[in-house]
Amino acid sequence: MITQLLASGLALGSVYALLALSLVLIHKATDVVNFAQGEMAMFGTYACFALLTKTEFPLPVVMLAAVPLGILLGVATERITMGPLRSAPPVNALIATIGLWMIFHHTAGWIWGYDPVRFPSLFSPEPINILGARVAQNSLGIIAVSLLVMVLLYLFFEFTRMGIAMRAASQNRRAAQLMGVNVTRISLIAWGLATAVSVVCGLLIAPLTFLDFEMMLSVLLKAFAGAILGGFNSLPGAVVGCLVIGVVENLIAAYVSTAFKDTFAFGIIIVVLMFRPQGLFTREIVKKV
Amino acid sequence: MNLTRTIVAVLILALLVALPFGLGQYGYYLMAIVMIYAMVALSLNVLIGMGGQISIGHAGFWALGAYGSALIVTKLGFPFFLGVLAGGLIAAAFGALVALPALRVQGHYLAIATLGFALFVQQVLFEWESLTGGRQGLFVPRPSLFGFELRDDFAYYYLLLAIFLLLAWITGNFARSHSGRSLMALKMSSVAAECCGIARPKHIIIAFTISAFFTGVSGALYGHLLGHLSTETFSLAISLSFLTMAVIGGLHSRAGALLGGAYLALAPELMREFKDVQMVIYGVTLILCVQFLPRGLISVVERVWTIGTTPHATR
Repeated sequence: MITQLLASGLALGSVYALLALSLVLIHKATDVVNFAQGEMAMFGTYACFALLTKTEFPLPVVMLAAVPLGILLGVATERITMGPLRSAPPVNALIATIGLWMIFHHTAGWIWGYDPVRFPSLFSPEPINILGARVAQNSLGIIAVSLLVMVLLYLFFEFTRMGIAMRAASQNRRAAQLMGVNVTRISLIAWGLATAVSVVCGLLIAPLTFLDFEMMLSVLLKAFAGAILGGFNSLPGAVVGCLVIGVVENLIAAYVSTAFKDTFAFGIIIVVLMFRPQGLFTREIVKKV
Repeated sequence: MNLTRTIVAVLILALLVALPFGLGQYGYYLMAIVMIYAMVALSLNVLIGMGGQISIGHAGFWALGAYGSALIVTKLGFPFFLGVLAGGLIAAAFGALVALPALRVQGHYLAIATLGFALFVQQVLFEWESLTGGRQGLFVPRPSLFGFELRDDFAYYYLLLAIFLLLAWITGNFARSHSGRSLMALKMSSVAAECCGIARPKHIIIAFTISAFFTGVSGALYGHLLGHLSTETFSLAISLSFLTMAVIGGLHSRAGALLGGAYLALAPELMREFKDVQMVIYGVTLILCVQFLPRGLISVVERVWTIGTTPHATR
C-alpha cells in the first residue's frame, strides 16, 4: 500500500516538476513568472490530441511532435507578447502573462469544447510487481519520461554553448551581454524550451485527469508550491520540491481527506514563505546595488 | 489649473448623479454594478498602481466581504452598514495575513500566494455548508438605511456612488500620506528608497490591506445588491476580469477606476453575441493595453484634454 502510494505520488510529483521546471526556466532567464504556463501546456496538449484524432498518427509519434510544437508555441508567444514589453516595468510583463492565461484558457474551450475528453495513455494501467508491491505501469512510465526530460535539460545546460550562455545570462544579464551573449535570443529560447517541457507535462497528466480546459489550474498551483519549496531560482530544487508535494498530496488524500487535495498547496506556499522564504535548497540571493 | 480640476470633478460628479435617470430597472442595476466594480478597480489602483504588486486573487477578498457581511447581517442581526464595514475588515485582516509572509521576499510571491488564497477561500466557502449554504448558496437581505429598506436599485446606486466617492477620497489621501509617498519612492528605485530608511514590506502590506478592505466592502455591497450568493461567482475568472478592468481603465487615476468599472460592467452587454470569446477578447485587450496604453483608457482622455486646453501640448 505505502509503496504504491509513494510510486503514484512520485509520478504526480514528477509531472508537477516538469511544469515547475518551465516556470523556473522562464523566471531565471527573463525575471518573468509566467502564469500562463499551465494553460499553454493545456493548449499544446489539445493541439496534440487534435493531431492524434485527425491524422491517426500513433501516440508515440504525437508525443515526439509535442516538442517542436511546444517550442513553436512558446517562441511565437514570446515574440508577440513579451518582446515589446522588455523595457517596461516588470509588473506589466506579469499582467501580460495573465492576459495570455485568459486567451489560451478560453480559446481552448471555444475551439475544442468545454467537456472533458478521454486522452489515451502510452502506458497500460496494469500494475506490475516491484519489491513485492504492485505498482502501476502508468506511474513508472510517467516517472521515466520525466526523468528523461530532466536529463536532457541537464545535458543542455551543462554541455551546450547555448545552455551555458543561458546560465550565464541568468546569473548576471548585463555581464553576459557584455561577453557577447544575445540576451534577446536567450529569452526566446527559454520560452520555447519551457513551453515544450510543459506540453510534455500536459501530455503526461491528461490521461490521469482527462483532457479538460480546466485541468492545469491545480497543477499550476502545485508546481508553484513545489518551486517555492525548492527555491524559485533552482532547477533541481524545484524538482525535489515538486516530488515532495506529489508524495504529500497522495498521502493526505489517502489518509486524511480528499476535500482539500487541491488547495493544500496554498498552505505549503504560506508556510514556506513564513519560515524559509528562500526555499529549502537555495541560499538567499543578496542583491547588490 | 486647480480651478479646471475642480470644474472637471464637479462635471464628472454631475454626470454620475444624472446618469441613471430614465434607464429603467435593468439600467439601475447595471449602474450599481459599475460602482461596485469601480470600487474593486480603485482597490487595484492602490495595490498595482501605487504598490507595484499584483493580485490574481481579489475574488477571494470579494467573497470574504460578501459572505462576511451577509452572515453578520443575517445570523447576528447587525444593521446593513455595520455588516458592510465588517465585511471590509474581515477581508483586510485576511489580506494582511496573506501579504505578511509573501512580502518578506522580493519578487512575485505575493501574486502566487493570492492565486492560492482565492482558490482556497472558494473551496472553504463551498465545503463549509453549515455556515455558507455550500452548493445551495446564501440569501442576503436587501440593503437598508436607518430602518428603511432600499428596495430599488435606483436608490441603492446613489448610496454606492457615495461610498465610491468616500473610498476615492481615502485613496487620494493615502497617495499623499507617508505610506503613499514611500511607495512612490520605492517604485522609482527600491534600493535607493530602502537605503533612505523606507521599509518596503511594511508599506506594501499597508497598501495590500487597504486594497483588500476596499474589495471586501465592494463584495459586501455586491451581496446585498444581488440578494443571493453562490461560490461559483467568486472564481478565478472574476479575479482576472478585475485585473483586466483595472489595467484597461488606468491604474494611476481614480477616474480610470470608474472607466474600468464601466468597462467590466458594460462590455458583456455589448459583446453578447460573442459569448465564449468574451474572455478571449478580455485577454487580448489586456495585452494590447499593457503594450500600447500602459496607463489605460483614461490616458487617452487626459491626452485629448491636454490637446484641447494647452496650445503647446508636449506629449
